This record gives sequence, structure tokens and C-alpha cells, in this order.
Amino acid sequence: MSLQLSVARLSLGETTLVQDLHLDVPPGAVHTVMGDSGSGKSSLLAAVCGTLAPVFRFEGKVTLHGRRIDTLPTEARRVGILFQDDLLFAHMTVRENLLFAVPPGPRGEREAAVAQALADLELPGFAHADPATLSGGQRARVSLMRALLAQPQALLLDEPFSRLDAALRQRMRDFVFATVRARGIPVLLVTHDEADVADPARLTRLTRL
Amino acid sequence: MATALRPVNLRTLWLPALLALAVAVPVAWAAVSAMAAALDGAAWRGLWQQPQWPRALAMTLWTGLAATALSVALSAWVLSLSFPGALWQRVVQALPPMLAVPHAAFAIGLAFLIAPSGWLLRAVSPWATGFDAPPPWPTTQDPWGLGLIAVLVAKEVPFLLWAAATQLQREDTGLRWARELDAARSMGYTPQRAWWRVLWPQLWPRLAGPLVAVLAYSLTVVDMALVIGPQGPPTLAVLAWQWLLDADAAVNAQGAAAAWLLAGVVAVLAGTLWALRHAAHWRARWTAGSRGHSARRHAAPGAPLIALAALYGGVMLALALGSLAGAWPFPQLWPRQWGLQAWQSVAASAATLWTTLALAALSALTALAWAVAWLECAPPAWDSRLRRLVYLPLLLPSVLWVVGLHRLTLAWGLDARFAGLWLAHSLAAAPYVLIALSPAYLGFDPRYAQVAASLRKSRFTFLARVKWPLLRASLLAALAVGFAVSVAQYLPTLFVGAGRFNTVTTEAVTLASGAQRPLTAAYAWLQWLLPALVFALAAWAGRPRRFAKGHP
Repeated sequence: MSLQLSVARLSLGETTLVQDLHLDVPPGAVHTVMGDSGSGKSSLLAAVCGTLAPVFRFEGKVTLHGRRIDTLPTEARRVGILFQDDLLFAHMTVRENLLFAVPPGPRGEREAAVAQALADLELPGFAHADPATLSGGQRARVSLMRALLAQPQALLLDEPFSRLDAALRQRMRDFVFATVRARGIPVLLVTHDEADVADPARLTRLTRL
Repeated sequence: MATALRPVNLRTLWLPALLALAVAVPVAWAAVSAMAAALDGAAWRGLWQQPQWPRALAMTLWTGLAATALSVALSAWVLSLSFPGALWQRVVQALPPMLAVPHAAFAIGLAFLIAPSGWLLRAVSPWATGFDAPPPWPTTQDPWGLGLIAVLVAKEVPFLLWAAATQLQREDTGLRWARELDAARSMGYTPQRAWWRVLWPQLWPRLAGPLVAVLAYSLTVVDMALVIGPQGPPTLAVLAWQWLLDADAAVNAQGAAAAWLLAGVVAVLAGTLWALRHAAHWRARWTAGSRGHSARRHAAPGAPLIALAALYGGVMLALALGSLAGAWPFPQLWPRQWGLQAWQSVAASAATLWTTLALAALSALTALAWAVAWLECAPPAWDSRLRRLVYLPLLLPSVLWVVGLHRLTLAWGLDARFAGLWLAHSLAAAPYVLIALSPAYLGFDPRYAQVAASLRKSRFTFLARVKWPLLRASLLAALAVGFAVSVAQYLPTLFVGAGRFNTVTTEAVTLASGAQRPLTAAYAWLQWLLPALVFALAAWAGRPRRFAKGHP
């Protein structure tokens, strides 16, 4: 059960960004994609997530656990995404941000899932906090937990550690990689930083074509 | 802002002080004069004894609140269908021509469309309706105020979309919100559900200001209500205006009291709306967890935009056609005879056109010169304080503001003089010009000034050779805004000018209640055409410089 990506061509107008790329990310594995600016790393993630702008053209196939998903709308793909910015919703408390991600169900179960998530994050007293009052690391962890609470079957990380300071970056890496490994979620990670590479055997370097 | 770089120097404060006084004195004078009108006990007693005011107030509340609620709902719906994406870009591109159509001209054009003898009914008669004569339907000036509500909604939806665009087109919030929507969709939310739960709760508090403006305008509008609003009873603003025009001083004072009553109603409702923007209720409902149905996608997300554009196109076409129509028996779709008589009449009364152009040009230039000078040299603390006063003409009901303005021009000996009109139009244009110019002017990179200074250029050289050329498009756009505001002035022109000065707007609104439909249409068209030409000219003159392609 894995995330499989087969790109015949990913282009912007006449410019080819990615060509003949095949990735197979097993559950719990983190596959890293590196490359120069403009080499199509983030566009590759957008193609997997289904948020590619219409000016791009994706020719290829994305399957998740054997199910083809690139023809589905974003909301039906069950692929979570984390960006450089934590993108916590500014109009919601920490608890409301997490609750937003929990799938529909009995209110008690949804609340319990959020309480457990806050405990896992070691932020039990922050349920009603304004996200803006959290530290950078706390916000990044809440953002990851929010993505996980939606029960994604794959996770895309678009330079999620780049805005953190060096010490925090290492702690967040450990936290993220341990969490996705424990949950068996395949992860595609885009980064500029060699230190982010979780497994050198699972590394793809994109170059400008 | 360049001024932020300079230490405050008392010797340099004389110019901002002078500029502040130039606006503060007349605005404060007019405001205090209007306030004095509220102290007339006899006027209030006269008002309470009038049997019309309770029904007029009820009509005002109905039309104002219904128009505001519908405008907000429709704007939010259009936004939810279009942002982000290519359709939203088309919406943004379609807004300026819609915003450029003056309210009164739009009301007149819509009346031409939906009147019993209007174009819409002609298009389906007699084959679908069986009518070979106009039916006795109250489609305009209807007693329920539906026509007025329709015109207000059609005019306010583009304004609210434009206000939303100023937030959504910002680099910081726009990109962030588009990504937040992506994040919500990656959690399984449909685009529409994600929009309502993630974006709208963040956007709407930022639209509270424009929303209050829409509410205040809908409750206090006079010119549109005169054209298409109910007459028995009219809205409170129209009733107050009719009393203000009365020759009897007692009735006149009663009109001022009615204007104050209207101001009180607006203040209460606007205050309530403002307080609601951060109410916890709006947030609490957004996290129920339901994702929406992915299959239930809107079949034609562009339909509302097309409908709105078609309405504006239909209105402008109806005006153009109406101005050229000769004999036009019902139910013929096209006039039997075409003619230029209406336009010949317009040309024959060229003074109206020249008065309009002169007033608009002078007022816009005055407001622009003042705004540039103010933004250039006012200390920031002064700026934020003076703006409260400069924006007063926008916040007060127009029918109340005009009372104060009239007393001001009487006291200064400018009543029924061109100079009085110039002052009235300049004070009306100033806040709009300031609002239009501020973002570009205050956002100008102060390092340019440092670079120019390091090149031993004087401040004036920097302004004339660097800053103003770089801001040329914004300066010209602000000038066009001031011009358009002046052209659209109805109440101040009539009241301060004592009926001695006609502009295309006063002519169009006055003629709208008569039978000279081609002439009405011609003036209404001019009311749109003049600002549109100036906007086009500003866009052309402000276009980016084209450089010759470099040689290898």
C-alpha cells in the first residue's frame, strides 16, 4: 500500500519542468525531492494534491493504495499537505483548527480526538489559545497534527522546516518522521536542505530541463 | 512614507497646518451647522405631527436592510463560486466598468428596461404576454420599494466585490488564503464548503467598513430613490429632501429634523453591524466537520457574473437606444423612428455640459492637489486624526450633510455661486481621492528618496522626476475618481447652487420624473460617459512606459 507517482511530463506552457519520473513511496517512508528553484518541485506536489494551476499541464498518473487519484478533485484524494507556512486559520482557536480537520462523527468522539491530539502535542492547555500566540515550533506541530487528524492516506511536505531555526528544525524533523512512520503514511518531502533527507536511498534530484 | 524619515520640525509644520485647516474648517463648520439644526424644538414637534414619517421610516428600513442583506448574500455567493481561479480574475476585470456607472444613470436605465412600456416587456410582447398596450403594472416607483431594492443591489454587489478584491488581491492575504483553501480541501472539504468555513469568516470582518457604507448608502440615498423608489410614502431621505426644498422655513426645519432622525437610525444600525463583525457566533458554527458533497458542484459558476454583466449591458444599451428613439409605439421592440433631437437639445444647452465639466475638473484637481500635498507633508499622527473629519461627508446622510453645507455657503456668502459649488464638490471629492491615492502614496518605497538624496537631488527634483512619475497611474486614477464623484453630485449641486446651476446629473434626475424619455436617456448616458472618458484617458496616460527592445 503506497503512493505511486508516474510523470510522463509536467509542463508550464512550452517549458517542460519534469519528465519521465517514477516514484514509489511505501507506507511510513519519506521520499525526498530536491532541486533548484524553478525545477518543478512544488508543482510536482501540487499535481499529486490536485491544486495545480490551470497554466500547468500534468501528463501522468498518481495512485494511492492502488487507487488512481489524479482524476479526483483535491478533497476526494485523501492527500494531506503542509506548506512552509503553518497556515493555521487565524479566525479559529487551536482547538477549532484541529476540530476542523476531524472527519464528521459524533461530537464526543470528535472532541476526544482533538483532546488526544493536544495531549500528543504536549499542548493540553492551549486548546482555546489564539494560534498567533504560539511559538513557531508549536504552530508547526499543530499544523502537522491538523493534517493528520483529517486521516490522510499520504502526506506532502512542501519545505515545512525551512522557516524554523536550526535547533527546532531537527526536533520537528524527528517529530514528523516518527509520527508518519508510526502511522504508516507515505510522505513526499520537497526541500532545499540536505539535512532534511530522511533516507538517502529515497532521494530524487530534479534539474532544470 | 517619506515623511516618516524626517524628524518633526516645527518650522516645517506650517504647510500641513494650513492644509489641515483648509479642509477641517469648512467640514467642521458644515457639521456644526447641521448639528445646530437638531436643536430646533419646533422642527421636531412639527416632524412628530406629520403622519408620513413613520411609514417613510418603515419603508427606509425595509428597502435599506433588504438591499444590504441581498447585496452581501449575492457578493458572498459570487466570491464562493469564483475565488481563487481564472473566474475570479474575470470578475475583477469586470468590476471597474460596472463601478463607473453612476447610481442615478443606472436607476434611469433600469427604469427604461423594466417599465411597463420598457424594453423587457417589449421583447416578449405580444407573442408571450398578449399585451398590445403597456400593462398598468407598478414596476417602477412601486409601492413596495422592490425597484429601489433591485437597483441598490445591482449597484452595491460590484462595490462589495471590489472591496473584497482589495483584500483578496493583496500579496500577503490573497496567497495565504488561497493556500488555506488548498489545505482545507486536502482535508476533504469541497471548494464551496472550504470557502464558507475558512475564508468567509476571515474576510467578512475586513469588509465591515464597506458593509457599513453600503447600509448607510442604502438607507439614505435620494437621487436613485427619486427616480425609481416608492412615492406613497417615499423613503425618509426623500421625504426630508422634499421638505428641505420647501419654501416655508418651518417645513424646511422639519426636513432638517427628519435628516437627523435618519442619521440616528443609520448610526444605530451601522453601530450594530460594526459590533457584530467579531461576534463569537460567526466562528462557533464553522467547525461541525461536514465536508459537503463533492459531486454537487455548481453547474455554471460564471452564471452570476454573466447575469450581472448582462444587466449592466442591458441598462446602458437601453439608455443609448432611448436617447436615439423617436416614435416608438408599444409593443415594437425597436423604435419606428430614430432621431438626434435629444442630443441636439443637449448640445443646445451646452452651458449644462460646460458647468459639469468645469466643476468636475476644478474639484478633482483641487482634491488631488490637496491630497498629494497632505500625504507628502502631514505627520502620520495628524493624518489619522484629520481623516476622521475628511471622511465625515461619507459618514453623514447626504441629506443631512447638505443642510450643513448650505448653511456654510450662506454664512460665507457663497450661496448660489459657482465658488460655493466648487467648495461643495471639492469637499465631496476629497475623501474619495484620498482613499484612492493613499495605498500607492503611502506604500511608496522610501529608499527611493534616500537614493535621490544620495545623488544630491533636491526634494522637489525627487518629487517631480522620480516619485510623481512613478506614481503617475495612481495620481491619474485618483483624479478620475474625483472627477466621477463631482459629476455624480446631485443634492449639493441643487441645494448649494439654489437651482441656478444645472449639471448632467441634476438634469437627468429632474427629467426622469417627466415624459421626455429621449432627453432623460441622453443626460443619463452623459452622466456615465463623461467619467468613463476621463477614466479611459487616465488609464491611457498612466500606462507603463514602453522601452525599446535592447540590442544584443
